[in-house]
Amino acid sequence: MSIDKAESVKYETFTQEEYMIMKDDLLRPIEKIGIGAKIWIGFLTAVFLAGVFAYYLQETRGKYVTTGLRDYTTWGVYISNFLFLVALSLSSVFMSAILRLTNFQWYRPLSRIADVISLSSITMAGICIMISMGRADRLHHLFIYGRIQSPIIWDIIVVATYFVACVLVLFIALIPSLSTCKNHLHNLPKWQLKMYDILSFGWEGNAEQWKVLKKTVLILTVLIIPLGIALRTVSAWLFSTTLRPEWDSTNFGAYFVSGSALITVATMVIAVYAFRKIYNLENYLTEMHFDKLGQAMVLMGFIYAYFNINEYLVPAYKMSGLHENHLLDLFVGEEALFYWSVVFFGIAVPSILPLFRKMRKPLPLSIIALAVLIAGWFKFYLIVIPGQAHPLLPIQDVPETWKHYTPSLIELTIVAATIAGTLLLVTVFSKFFPIISVWEVAEGKLEGKEEIINYK
Amino acid sequence: MKNCNWFMVTCFMLLFSMATSFAQDKEAKITLTFEKVDSLNVCKALVVSDGVPVKDVSVKLSVKRLYSNLPVGDAIATDSTGVATFEVPQDIPSRNGKLFIFANISDDEVYMNAEASGEVNWGTVVVSDNSNVKERSISAGRNAAPIYFIVSSLLVIGLVWGFLIYAVLQVFKIKRLGSAN
Repeated sequence: MSIDKAESVKYETFTQEEYMIMKDDLLRPIEKIGIGAKIWIGFLTAVFLAGVFAYYLQETRGKYVTTGLRDYTTWGVYISNFLFLVALSLSSVFMSAILRLTNFQWYRPLSRIADVISLSSITMAGICIMISMGRADRLHHLFIYGRIQSPIIWDIIVVATYFVACVLVLFIALIPSLSTCKNHLHNLPKWQLKMYDILSFGWEGNAEQWKVLKKTVLILTVLIIPLGIALRTVSAWLFSTTLRPEWDSTNFGAYFVSGSALITVATMVIAVYAFRKIYNLENYLTEMHFDKLGQAMVLMGFIYAYFNINEYLVPAYKMSGLHENHLLDLFVGEEALFYWSVVFFGIAVPSILPLFRKMRKPLPLSIIALAVLIAGWFKFYLIVIPGQAHPLLPIQDVPETWKHYTPSLIELTIVAATIAGTLLLVTVFSKFFPIISVWEVAEGKLEGKEEIINYK
Repeated sequence: MKNCNWFMVTCFMLLFSMATSFAQDKEAKITLTFEKVDSLNVCKALVVSDGVPVKDVSVKLSVKRLYSNLPVGDAIATDSTGVATFEVPQDIPSRNGKLFIFANISDDEVYMNAEASGEVNWGTVVVSDNSNVKERSISAGRNAAPIYFIVSSLLVIGLVWGFLIYAVLQVFKIKRLGSAN
């Protein structure tokens, strides 16, 4: 294979002193685990194990006894949590792939954080589906007896495919960093060093390897965008392909994708804030990133607001009989406080507050992002659950408990466990691998110096 | 005094139940006739007791369905000739065109419960068009998915997984390029 000599020289520049300092900064979090990190990991593990135990109770005692699910509300908090986790899993699309392809240089320190969040959340989202099914041992029946015409089958296929794509996107871009870990980290257990050696796949950093790696990363970056959009859209189609008035909407796919975009920006703000503070990465995750993420939040907030207007105000203008019960319930009925809180914190706050420069500083923006995430979780709850209480045929002569859904303690524990599981995977990853891609940042320092170094 | 009240209530209940049971002691017999009147399906229920037609007795008409009887309109009282006249709808579905029609007296104050039934050819035969049941469609079973749907789905899935497998192969190529040097 003939390799351009100039290209080869360019890759060699990674070994300069600037790169060495950067490498030390970015590898430091792997070398030592503080007491705080141990407590945090212990806490997340405890919550996750509590969820495993709750799931054991659910499966042994039966769903009717252990959950609030009844004949009318058959999709409860597991499904709304699944939608939230799928939204998080698009971080790789919105906070890495799109920025990478459109040459926004500030993506470089963020890309791996986004990829890890994507992989962790899609893993937990897949688990959520199985928990919701109730009979995980029959999962393979979906493939044996499933109909290709069914959105449920599309969902299973796209979740599995997206999971594999996330693994590859994360892993292939990680190979040079694994080699860096192998060569520069010494005070680690033998098995860990052996793991770096095996996973680095004989990486030497020669020009041919760089060429193959960059080409593959580019292909996967292009692939993951339609795949992520398909994942989110199919999740929306699970609802919109039904005739239930609250879900029967042609707007649902785009509405869900736009919501995910906003949630991924909020997630990245919190993740960047946490890693910056805990791992002392202020030189790499700078205030510039918060400024950019704040601007992105405003943009995504307005797009999401636009789709919300389509989703709620257009049916409200017509107020047909089928929609009336549900919409009045949300606007002025028993869900009103809940609904307007979600609109305020989940749409109005992220669309308006970060317009002001002071609100795009790390702490204020992180507080806004936290509000957006909490509101985002409840938004999916409002999409999935209240609609089921208004079936096409009126509810008559049924026990009172069937009319209203309240998640049980077991359901809430399992949901908390999936969130804790996502955080645990991200945390454990950051303790074994560089959470910021050393080579991508180094490359950015060399190629996009003006933008990154001279920003303020 | 309190015990006396209870005694009085019990006596009244006993007397009431005895009176009702004696009052319902009379037997009644229903005879059903079916006729076409000006293209209408008319069913007449004649109620006689001790050989005498009785008037003002509520008769209910119903038609047998799969699990239970479907009421046909409201109950109608017999006239002075002891006949209750019902118009039977002409669009009641039936498998072979036959309908089992029931007339009954129930909970009457004077007469005991009575029932009569008859078979008549007034049903509308429903012909189900199942000719398309084996056609391929979105709503069909897994073995009858539309060909275009299967082909396009497999193409998309194959294309995406093709890229993913290609990416995995590139990882091994990276390893090979490392060991070659």
